[in-house]
Amino acid sequence: MLQRFLDPATLASISGLDLVAKTVVDGFIAGLHRSPDYGFSQEFAEYRAYTPGDDLRHVDWNVFARSERVYLKRYRGETNTQLLILLDASASMSYGSHAVNKLDYARFLAASLCYLAHAQRDAAGLIVFDEDVQNYVAPSARQGQLFRLLHAIEKAQPGTRTDFAKPFVHFLDFTRRRGLVVVISDYYERPETIVKTIEPLRFRGNEVILFHVLDPQEIEPKFREPVLLTDMETSGTLEVSPEYARGEYRHRIDAHIQALRDQAKGAGLDYFLMDTGRPLDEGLREYLGVRQGRM
Amino acid sequence: MGFLVPWALAGTVAVGLPVWLHLLRKHKTTPLPFASLMFFERRTQSSIRHRRLQHLLLLALRAAVIALLALAFARPFLQSRLAALAGGPKLIVLAIDNSFSMRDDDRLARAKREAAEVASRLRDRDKLQVLAFGSQVHVMGDSAAAIGTIELTDTRSSYAELSRALRSIAQTGAQASAQAGRMPVEAHLFSDMQKSSLPANFADLRLGDSVRLIAHPVADRRAANFAVESVNAPRRVYGSGKTRVEATIAGYGTEQAKRRATLVLNGREIDSKSIDVPAGGRATAEFLPADLPFGLNRGEVRIDSADKLPDDDHFYFSVERAEARRVLFVHEGRNQRDALYFRTALEAAAESAYALDAVPVEQSANLDLHKYAFVVLSDVGSLPASFEAALRDYVRSGGSLLVALGRESALRNRVPVFDEAIVEPRYYGRDGALFQSAAWLDAGHPSIRNAQRWDDVKFYQAVRVNPGAARVAARLGDDTPLLLEKQLGEGRVLVFASTFDNISNDFPLHASFVPFIEHTANYLARQEEGPGNYVVGSYLELRQAKEQGAAVEILDPKGERALTLDEATRAQNMPLSIAGFYDVKRPNGRHELVAVNADRHESDLDVISADTLALWQNTAQGPQNATSRGETEAPKPLEFWWYILIAVLALAVAESLLGNHHLTVEGEAG
Repeated sequence: MLQRFLDPATLASISGLDLVAKTVVDGFIAGLHRSPDYGFSQEFAEYRAYTPGDDLRHVDWNVFARSERVYLKRYRGETNTQLLILLDASASMSYGSHAVNKLDYARFLAASLCYLAHAQRDAAGLIVFDEDVQNYVAPSARQGQLFRLLHAIEKAQPGTRTDFAKPFVHFLDFTRRRGLVVVISDYYERPETIVKTIEPLRFRGNEVILFHVLDPQEIEPKFREPVLLTDMETSGTLEVSPEYARGEYRHRIDAHIQALRDQAKGAGLDYFLMDTGRPLDEGLREYLGVRQGRM
Repeated sequence: MGFLVPWALAGTVAVGLPVWLHLLRKHKTTPLPFASLMFFERRTQSSIRHRRLQHLLLLALRAAVIALLALAFARPFLQSRLAALAGGPKLIVLAIDNSFSMRDDDRLARAKREAAEVASRLRDRDKLQVLAFGSQVHVMGDSAAAIGTIELTDTRSSYAELSRALRSIAQTGAQASAQAGRMPVEAHLFSDMQKSSLPANFADLRLGDSVRLIAHPVADRRAANFAVESVNAPRRVYGSGKTRVEATIAGYGTEQAKRRATLVLNGREIDSKSIDVPAGGRATAEFLPADLPFGLNRGEVRIDSADKLPDDDHFYFSVERAEARRVLFVHEGRNQRDALYFRTALEAAAESAYALDAVPVEQSANLDLHKYAFVVLSDVGSLPASFEAALRDYVRSGGSLLVALGRESALRNRVPVFDEAIVEPRYYGRDGALFQSAAWLDAGHPSIRNAQRWDDVKFYQAVRVNPGAARVAARLGDDTPLLLEKQLGEGRVLVFASTFDNISNDFPLHASFVPFIEHTANYLARQEEGPGNYVVGSYLELRQAKEQGAAVEILDPKGERALTLDEATRAQNMPLSIAGFYDVKRPNGRHELVAVNADRHESDLDVISADTLALWQNTAQGPQNATSRGETEAPKPLEFWWYILIAVLALAVAESLLGNHHLTVEGEAG
């Protein structure tokens, strides 16, 4: 029943992205409570003796009144977790063979991750890019950060072509703190180039998750007759027969996915293929799994 | 080919439907956006081309199904005869005219060339038959090489021969059909198509249903020609009698001209005359040769014609000068009246052709009968046995006998040599009637042919003879046979049932007695047998008895024997195939010279007009083209729409299989 709320087609009918994110995460968490496999404490606080220079906003004045000792409240998220989402908004991401295109799906995913991070008091940031950086929201756990993120995600529009090399130079500047980096893209680039470009993020102590968003039609195209295809990024056209799409193309796309998965694994990157026809919870589960590992 | 429902052909417009579906609709395909073409390659085009080719095949099948369906509904048909001629094997009959007129220019060579051309177009499955026709039809062979063996003859291709040639074609076609099923015949007739050959009734030339006649006229204009049309000369001249030769010179399609006619006797020019021949007319030249030698003479009348048909510029004839032929008249010694009347009649009519030897019966025993032209037994009673035996042999070997029956001969039981029983003598004065007259005469008998006025002749006495196997040529009013004839061996016996005196009848006193005696004498002496001149292609009668007899010796104009030994003893007649003189020695020892000329009907080289020829050709082609009512019947059409429907069915199955294959492929893709 709850899966229904995570279905991309259902989410597409919800107008506000914040509501989408709330629906996804609430439903997802409710599902987790029923699962013994995933132990999870929402937040963990500890007290630390005040030392000069600490932010006075975090002093627990109730404890000071009772004991006249100055303690600071510490939150786990505030200490070492930062989520940075890199959202690919290239032209190819606007492709969709059903109600939800890849960019919409990526938006849902990004919004859900942001909402989840916000609920856990994790700092979250966003970079929207195509061949250049379109938008940037610096990671933060402050009040109103979620709405800034959701607004930036909603504003993301399909741009031009994907170029990892150029925007990723800037990403290195943006990630001064260690944390989780989530890259949501369709990765229409050679796996070597992708891994080579993203790999430096890992060197800085970040955990990197690659969400590979693909439409079912891209994974397994089904044409009834020869079709004239137009590349959404280059506008080049090509006539494609059903036989080729059924045989050679699938072989090639499978090889591409497998190569990207292997090379990402080789470089210590987590890879996850997101089929836009499938529910979002698998993506969230992947995220939480990785975050758990960092606790 | 035609269509019974031609408007159904409008259905072929529906061919545009698959064309629109396959081609026009295809071009309207809109490009489909796709995320990236990174994993597609250009070489996929070949696969699409292959598919397009398959689609084109499908398109062709669908278009063919629709077009053939429309064609089938239009119900096409072929003319059955034409279809039969065009399709299966056929018999090609090449009938080439080799008659006398084909000598003009190079008509025969042209006919043979055209025939060879037709033969060269022969297909392997066709059969060939080559015929040559003049006065007769000859089968030359069944290969094109037979055309070259055809030679000219002096014979004629008349209406009769043309129809005979066409009948031969029809028979050949029927035989071929019997051998190889219903094989159609294509008859090619190569001839100069003379107007003189034109039949009076085209319907007589109608051929079978399966025969198609194609006429090839090899002469396209009328050629002027002079010819010696005929020569009128006596066949025999007796004693010192005068000879008169009259030649008719004819011009066919000629201008008025002066021609020189020459009489040649035994190779020597006797006389020459210049005559004026009117335009397209005739002129007569008369010759009176003074010194005609005794014996058989070879005569010829020539003209100085410069036309292209020189073979009709001379005319052969034969004249025999002989002594009067002797006739043995045997009678009872005491009766001289019959010999008197008979001799008088003979001498009055036959211009000294016969000399009568009247012999009493008692002196007849040792006579040599073979020197007589014929023998007359005039009312004789008993005959010497040796004489009767000699008489019988004489008749059997070709001699002739005339027996007159009267009071004396009525005493016998049978007629001598004639060997038929004498029934009774009839005396009409005692029988109630005073006399009898000839109630019935056979006008075809040579003795009576030109002497039919016997009405006033009164017969008082006659001897009734059982006719037996004899031919009765005249009867009296009481049905008593008056004149009977019987063939005996090579000879003939004539019985006159009365006498030649004016006692038993008053016949000798009538004018009809002389021609009767004359014609009977000529008939018995065989002086009037056969025509004066023969034309090439006619037959010469050699003997009348079928049994083997004495040999006939014949030398043809080339001086060669015309008959083999077997033929010489058996043949009853012989074809005269060459113009010239045939030297004939008959079994009875008579020597004859037979003059043979090319048929003068061939001399008129006027050709049949194209319209007439077309009419004739259409008539000859069979009843489907010209009916007796003059209406044209449409040939039975051969419909083949159901063949087309079978083809449509096959194509539809093929289309289904191919279309199903495509759907399967696309289904898998879907």
